[in-house]
Amino acid sequence: MSATIWALATLVALVPTQDAKKDAGKNGKKDERRSWTLSAERVYTAAGDPIEGGEVVVSDGKVRGVGKGGGGDLEVFAITPGLVDLSIRIDRGFLSVEQSNEITPHVRALASVDVHDEAWTRAVRGGVTTAMVNVPDRNVIGGLSVVLKTAGAATAAARVVKHDAVLFGAIGSAPSAMNHPAFGRPEDFYSRRPTTRMGVEWEWRKSLFEAALARQEPSRAKAGAAELQRALDGKLPLMIEAWASQDIRTAVFLVEEARREGWGNPTLIVDAAAEAWREPQLLVRSKASVVLPPFVAEGRTRDQAFFAWETAAKLDALGVPFALSGHNPGALEDRLCYQPGYAMRGGLSFASALAAVTVNPARMVGVDDRVGSIEAGKDADLVLWSGEPFQPFSKVIGVLVDGRLIVDPRIESAPNSSNK
Amino acid sequence: MKHHLQPALRAAARPALRASAALAVAILCAAAARADGKLAIKAGKIITAPGAPAIEKGVIVIENGRIVAVGKDVKIPWDAPVIDAPNMTAFPGYVEAHSSRGMDRPNESPEIVIPFLTVRDSIDPVNFYFEDCLRAGITTINVQQGNDCIVAAQGMVVRPTGLTIDEMAVKLPAGLKMSATPRRGASAATQAQSLRRVFGDLRRYLEQVVQEKKDGSDRARREALYQGRDLEGEKSKGRAMEGTAWKVQGLELVPRGEIDEKQEPLLALVEGKMPAFIWCGRPADVHLAIELARDNGFLAKTTLVIDPSCWKAADAIAAAKTPVVLQGGVMHVEFDVLTGKEIETFVPKILHDKKIPFALNSVNSTSQSLWFQAAMCVGHGLPRAVALEAITTAPAKMLGLDKRVGSLEVGKDGNVLLLSGDPLSVTTWVERVVIEGRDVYDRSKDQRVQHLIAGKQPANTSAMGAAEIDPASVCCDGSDEKAHAKHLEEQKRAKDKGEGEDKKDDGKDDKKDEKKDGDKHSGHGHSGGADHDEGERR
Repeated sequence: MSATIWALATLVALVPTQDAKKDAGKNGKKDERRSWTLSAERVYTAAGDPIEGGEVVVSDGKVRGVGKGGGGDLEVFAITPGLVDLSIRIDRGFLSVEQSNEITPHVRALASVDVHDEAWTRAVRGGVTTAMVNVPDRNVIGGLSVVLKTAGAATAAARVVKHDAVLFGAIGSAPSAMNHPAFGRPEDFYSRRPTTRMGVEWEWRKSLFEAALARQEPSRAKAGAAELQRALDGKLPLMIEAWASQDIRTAVFLVEEARREGWGNPTLIVDAAAEAWREPQLLVRSKASVVLPPFVAEGRTRDQAFFAWETAAKLDALGVPFALSGHNPGALEDRLCYQPGYAMRGGLSFASALAAVTVNPARMVGVDDRVGSIEAGKDADLVLWSGEPFQPFSKVIGVLVDGRLIVDPRIESAPNSSNK
Repeated sequence: MKHHLQPALRAAARPALRASAALAVAILCAAAARADGKLAIKAGKIITAPGAPAIEKGVIVIENGRIVAVGKDVKIPWDAPVIDAPNMTAFPGYVEAHSSRGMDRPNESPEIVIPFLTVRDSIDPVNFYFEDCLRAGITTINVQQGNDCIVAAQGMVVRPTGLTIDEMAVKLPAGLKMSATPRRGASAATQAQSLRRVFGDLRRYLEQVVQEKKDGSDRARREALYQGRDLEGEKSKGRAMEGTAWKVQGLELVPRGEIDEKQEPLLALVEGKMPAFIWCGRPADVHLAIELARDNGFLAKTTLVIDPSCWKAADAIAAAKTPVVLQGGVMHVEFDVLTGKEIETFVPKILHDKKIPFALNSVNSTSQSLWFQAAMCVGHGLPRAVALEAITTAPAKMLGLDKRVGSLEVGKDGNVLLLSGDPLSVTTWVERVVIEGRDVYDRSKDQRVQHLIAGKQPANTSAMGAAEIDPASVCCDGSDEKAHAKHLEEQKRAKDKGEGEDKKDDGKDDKKDEKKDGDKHSGHGHSGGADHDEGERR
């Protein structure tokens, strides 16, 4: 008797599993599989030429193979690697700024990551599968950034791809904006140094100098000296936010001073380098790589920096490694999945535009062994497109993170029924 | 053409980039307007209307502003100037169904029931907005007042060329602007009551005028004469009230010229002779707008200008059969009140499914311009033809201009875009614009585009003479960094030579400081010294 029930139960359990292949997603349920065969008219691997009529085989969350083929579990127009955003800016604004000091190289961004923030699901819907969270730019040297997956595990720690990926700081008006000396007024967040761009530059130079000095005299080491020393040694890339040309110059100057004075050989990544087009030779000379901010129609960005449309094309022609970033905005048209299109509008080739949101950023922070391209053995982070990627007339219809179908192309995004 | 253009551009050299570029484009139009009324366009591809098959290597002939021939085998008149664009795609100019830009200010204040005003007096022809419209391929714009109003001024349809408002005018009045959304500081109840009262007041006014006429009083006539209004011809005749909603009996007794001009546009509205554009910022406002329009007989002439959230009132809009202009993007984003989840709703799909005629609306010149929004509609599942209609033929119909603009057909206005590629591709630029047969925009001569793309400053517009500096030459050799390093080196050497001297100098400085400070406390003098030491150590 019990055996019959058992057999029946097994049968009942089996039937939906068989059907699941066709019907999964239709009832709005999440498909928990981590093994797929996906086919597309075009597979852009970001590691070689695009494959016409290609397929990607995924098992247990990893890419097992990519090549010609068709008729997979899911058929879409195009597949690209999951997008990588090195400046995702998902934080709590001021609440994520460590106010005890303006130099906090030892602070870790990971501790402030809230995986339940809705901004993460928005990022995934826009095709971002790997993101670097930086400490907000209100401190001169903010702290250690973390690279993590945008979906999957329930905790931030379990999503981490790389701890302490870069040491993040800022140059420009942001770290000193509205600061003033404390005397005569009630203490508040702004009662601190520095109060000008000059002060910001000074804090940077002093910190690097003192960190170098602390090598000989460890007793003089301040908090964060070890992180600064690793940055000076080039083991921890120094990522500096600098929008305007004058601030990019300062960033380059800092790194070159460190080299000249024998403090070390830091690796420089300039974040939000809107005016990189003005003096691109500086970036070539200092072997810096660049993260560009989101494009704006009228060109004006922060710090009065003018972001010319051909910036990406110009950096590409000079061989400066660069990535595009989205800053994860609310507005649909500003998201990372449209940024390569804008760069193409400014003259960048499709292949370079693809690289700028996949392999380039992955390489810049040293996670290209796992993400950034579709190759056997890498994480199955994939974006499925309804049409030619990055065009406004195409849409991200599916996203896989570690082989899990986070955005399912079979579920039509229905209007919210509860509000009807 | 060229010799017209050169002096025009030279004359336009002004310190401010915006002003100069605006002037350049504007003068270009004026110059073009003097050409004899013919123009032929040879394009690699012609798409005459949304969804129409492309004509390869076609010709468009425009005479006196109207298209007289379009097709593959069209003979070009011998005396027509020719624009030869073998690599470009010709497409109808885009139509902006509602815009509150290009005026000195979008809203009147504190007057909020002002149907007697017209945006004709507010529009600034050299406003940068109109110039930017050309870059975005927008050739017809319905300029209406802003949304912060009860009943605002009469709107106007313009073309974005010309130095005077009369050169720009396409249709006046284009309709009355109203808002069903509470204006700043008002509640929904106040707004609703204010709107209803406008028509209650109109009715009472008309009844009073009729009564006065019956009583033999000529107060209205005296007032009209006092204001110097026209009482001749049609204006001297009375006419029974038209319209479908409500009527004031005996209006035929009152010569139309005697009707107060503050009330006249509202009367035209109720008589079904004036279009209305009603702003609805929230779904609830849609119901008020429809009720108001129905109760006062102008529902058939009403276009709702809606916020994306108004998709929740889509059924009511569909039932009322009013077209809509979707303002503020194609996606409605909200947060679920219980779970905090972000919910995105793609609005044009709902409008299309409910068969509501809709037009898209642009915010800026690129990522939120008409073409880009249409492209996003395709991305989110709308048929391509429907998406393109929403920026051409659909808004044309809403403005009552469907016989003039929106497609490239014989008899329609010669509003032609020459595009570098597919209208919806992100890499496509508007290369040239022809408005009513006048060649008004050429991207290769557009300094503003050069500035946007490459950061190139037009000559004489930079205070620093930045235009003369070749960006590639700046600091390639690192000479300034070398100079700075040398300076540091010298400082170091000086310090190594005589530390004593430096100390002496420091002492002097301190004394000077103390003297200067005098009686004032100089408590932070010491910490200043400490900073100085830190500097020395470098």
